[in-house]
Amino acid sequence: MKPFTYFSPTTLSDATRVLADYGADARCLAGGTDLLIRMKRHQWLPRAVVNLKRIPWLRDVAINAELRIGALVTLQDLVRAPIIREHFPVLAYAASKMAGVQVRNLATVGGNLCNASPAADTAPPLIALNARAVVVGARGERVIPLDEFFTGVGKSALAPDEILCEILVPRDDAVRASFIKLEHREAMDISIASVAVSLRNQKSEIKNQKCEDVRIVLGAVAPVPMRARQAEEILRGKELTEERIRQAARVAAREAQPIDDVRGSAWYRREMVEVLTRRQLIAMGKNVA
Amino acid sequence: MPQLGQSLTRLDARAKVTGDAQYPGDINLPGQLWMKVLFARRPHARIKRLDTAQAERAPGVARVFTARDVPVNEFGLGAKDAPVLVADKVRWVGEKIALVVAETEAQAEYARDLIAVEYDDLPAIIDPRDAMKPGSAQVHPAYPGNVIKHIPIRKGDVAQGFAQSDVIVESEYHTPAQEHAYLQPEAGIAYTESAFSIDDENRVTVIVAGQWTHEDQEQIAHALGLRLDQVRVIYPAIGGAFGGREDMSVQIILALAAIKLNRPVKIIWSREESIIGHHKRHPMWLKSKWGATRDGKIIAAQVEIISDAGPYTTTSTKVLGNAAFGVVGPYEVPNVQVDAYTIATNNIVSGAFRGFGGPQAHFQAETQMNKLAEKLGMDPVEIRLKNVLREGSLLSTQTPLPGGKVSLPQIVEKCADEFGWSQKSKIENIVLSVAKDRKSKIGYGFACALKNIGFSFGYQENAWAKVELHGAAEIDQVIVYHAAAEVGQGTHTALAQMAANALGVPLEKIELRASDTATSENSGSVSASRMTYIGGNAIKGASERALKKWNDEERPAIAEYKYLAPKTTNYDPETGKATPNIAYGYVAQAVEVEVDTETGHVRVARVTCADDVGHAINPRLIEGQIEGAVIQAQGWTIQENFQSKNGNVLTPHLSTYLIPGILDVPDRVDSVILEFPDYNGPWGARGMAEMPFIPLAPAIIAAVHDATGVWFDEFPLTPWKVLEGLKKKLDADRFARG
Ligand SMILES: Cc1cc2nc3c(=O)[nH]c(=O)nc-3n(C[C@H](O)[C@H](O)[C@H](O)COP(=O)(O)OP(=O)(O)OC[C@H]3O[C@@H](n4cnc5c(N)ncnc54)[C@H](O)[C@@H]3O)c2cc1C
Repeated sequence: MKPFTYFSPTTLSDATRVLADYGADARCLAGGTDLLIRMKRHQWLPRAVVNLKRIPWLRDVAINAELRIGALVTLQDLVRAPIIREHFPVLAYAASKMAGVQVRNLATVGGNLCNASPAADTAPPLIALNARAVVVGARGERVIPLDEFFTGVGKSALAPDEILCEILVPRDDAVRASFIKLEHREAMDISIASVAVSLRNQKSEIKNQKCEDVRIVLGAVAPVPMRARQAEEILRGKELTEERIRQAARVAAREAQPIDDVRGSAWYRREMVEVLTRRQLIAMGKNVA
Repeated sequence: MPQLGQSLTRLDARAKVTGDAQYPGDINLPGQLWMKVLFARRPHARIKRLDTAQAERAPGVARVFTARDVPVNEFGLGAKDAPVLVADKVRWVGEKIALVVAETEAQAEYARDLIAVEYDDLPAIIDPRDAMKPGSAQVHPAYPGNVIKHIPIRKGDVAQGFAQSDVIVESEYHTPAQEHAYLQPEAGIAYTESAFSIDDENRVTVIVAGQWTHEDQEQIAHALGLRLDQVRVIYPAIGGAFGGREDMSVQIILALAAIKLNRPVKIIWSREESIIGHHKRHPMWLKSKWGATRDGKIIAAQVEIISDAGPYTTTSTKVLGNAAFGVVGPYEVPNVQVDAYTIATNNIVSGAFRGFGGPQAHFQAETQMNKLAEKLGMDPVEIRLKNVLREGSLLSTQTPLPGGKVSLPQIVEKCADEFGWSQKSKIENIVLSVAKDRKSKIGYGFACALKNIGFSFGYQENAWAKVELHGAAEIDQVIVYHAAAEVGQGTHTALAQMAANALGVPLEKIELRASDTATSENSGSVSASRMTYIGGNAIKGASERALKKWNDEERPAIAEYKYLAPKTTNYDPETGKATPNIAYGYVAQAVEVEVDTETGHVRVARVTCADDVGHAINPRLIEGQIEGAVIQAQGWTIQENFQSKNGNVLTPHLSTYLIPGILDVPDRVDSVILEFPDYNGPWGARGMAEMPFIPLAPAIIAAVHDATGVWFDEFPLTPWKVLEGLKKKLDADRFARG
């Protein structure tokens, strides 16, 4: 690791001030499970490291009209928090598929999103649930829909002085969501491909399985976690037939933009998008019936 | 009180569980310095300029070492053909260019990055099949044509054998490299007495993790131009080895720095340094043609092996010898033709790894057998029982097996029985109905193997031990001196149990003084499944001698013993005729797999492993070896995907080189221990630690075939490779249907 200046502010404004001073030469520190590895490998050489963990309230989970998840909430909190388990089991499940318990005790949701890996596993389910990011910078606060948060591999819509403070997830009892992470080994692995699906059915429509709204979100198959919008279109407002599900899954696979790398080849990832999308929609369709 | 056959608690269990055990990286000495290595990180290049001036001036730096500083700049197990530090030509990524020694590790690392090296990169020689063609560029001046060794075996007449065959199976196989991934990356500390005063002779001591103290000592002494007695090697606790610690890693460089600086020098490799810095299992290409009669008798086998050695010999010629021996599997085949080559390339160095050529050879042999069984419509167990070696059978080297009983028929039958092989169609019906929903298919596979125990092919196996009996009327204390490396396999416990048994004392009375060249003579390497057998014979001999002296009233009664195993012979250079080995272990495995036909995931549900160990000294340790070997072999077959491009390693971390996790291991591994004594083994014991590794890959491949109808002739079975295979079959079936 190279020498750097360490800041540990106790207020958001102090933190954003340091970030504004150092610009691209500063990095926030949350759990450090991405940051420290990169620094030790000399991939990132920040001049300033800004610890966020002493800023109060960034670790809260609360639910009212919306679920609010503080950026510093750990993955293990997501796995365990009763509110999450009860109202958004898909988030608890996705977090449980990440890393191992030691890493999950350190790693934060905010870090996972801000790190902006195409394979960030909290992103697809959060996007599927229509989440928004609340960010605060030297010039104030703004809210970014999470499906517009990611701009490239390792890149987000955050300005250098901005901090992700919390994630808002709308509460809607008509929405059900699911997530599948495909790994080469069963745990402690980065996604080869992942798919999150959310479905909204009006209660009265459950009988004929009409899908009022749907989101299909793909992980690890494009530079950013992405929505398969054309596939969604095939299902939105329609009856959920097996035929349509199969077609939507094929279209989702076509929309993916995967690459070859050490974790898998592009053709395989594309094909898995189809399998994972189809499996989830069929399972969800069955649950409705 | 009998001490053998009991699962006594390991001597090191408490220290390892509580964290008291000292591994090399845990040991610190006053005044120690830290070392960092500058690796080449390029596969093939000439050094144009090497400038260490800036690094030498960096804060905290004690000294920078380059090739000029190494007195005799060469080392290597099979041949001293590798430089300790490169002077001019880089031949693989893990080649060491310079060493920086500084007050702190961070300072050493900082200074290392200030070393300026200019290289002329050369085209890397990567595919051994091309490298052995005439006109290929040369990897190493000692190996013209890049052929390090060619081993031919000729028995009978294969042309005639094929002419008489009713069925012939021809295949081309490829087996991948494998990383040892032991828990403890390379580490060590070296010191001389001026800085550390327990030794009163002028020598350098290296505390390190290895597999053979006396070989390390010899390699260090040679490279540094020292006498053997000027080098002392001590092994503390060792975090796994699997063959990966047979070659030199930090031994020589630590000793070099310590004698030049007269201060203790310490190093710990990162996982990444470990993965690029030490050898891998040999990748092999095996071209194979086997013929059998209608009733399932194998009558001819013709195999060509090409093994990728990387640029230096290390153990490649020995691994090749074992592979050449193993390619007919545990079968008696009247007509055999083998041509085995190990070829120099600029890939990562290949070397010893559990099984030592056996797994690659048997993958080919056992898959050929399973394909023949399919072609003949025979059961895989039945065809094996028709062909396995028995007492008096002639090996491909035209000599019989030593040691008495050849238990292969019993092993095969017992394994099949315990697994429920003949009832598996019933199991299938139950599981299939459960699995149907998930597009899963269930399959069953069978394979067996034999493995030599000990180094042989002309080398006379030996090991030394010394036993001291203290007390007056009764033996109060036993001190056993032995150099065996406890790498985690439990050998110290097994050796102590054998001493206790020979002397008729409880285990608590045994004190083992082990793994130190200053107190023990040579006991050889912990490899080739040899230590229980060879080392055990030395313990037995020394104990019996000491006991005789004790009974003759000598106090203390002290005896040394050097066990010399029966002689063996090397391959005849034309025919391969040989008396190759002193002893064997036999093993069979049956597996059940589940294949997700949509994602290509293969899960091993159940493994039954039957292993003839001769005499189970400590059954629980044996089960540990079986389970560990099964998981490690499963990793080689399914999860572990060592990737390199043009000689550069693409998977240098455990986040990209995936070893099986706890959720990937089989739901059940049933260890079946059989005990058919070997005449020359201590109390009949055979070695066993490699055997359970060997049949797993072909058994899994057969099970996947059973589930899907596809033969995979190469692995690892990454999900995409499996899916690709399934698609090809689907296309072929469609085409066939028109
Ligand atoms: C062994 C291991 C296994 C892993 N497995 C998985 C896995 O299965 N799936 C997966 O998706 N990831 C995995 N990861 C990656 C990592 O753990 C996660 O991405 C984690 O959520 C990152 O959170 P963190 O708090 O540690 O982030 P940090 O490392 O602290 O930060 C990551 C990046 O985000 C920035 N940052 C952090 N918080 C904020 C904020 N509030 N505002 C602005 N910028 C911020 C930092 O500056 C840095 O650039 C794994 C990591 C390890 C070491």
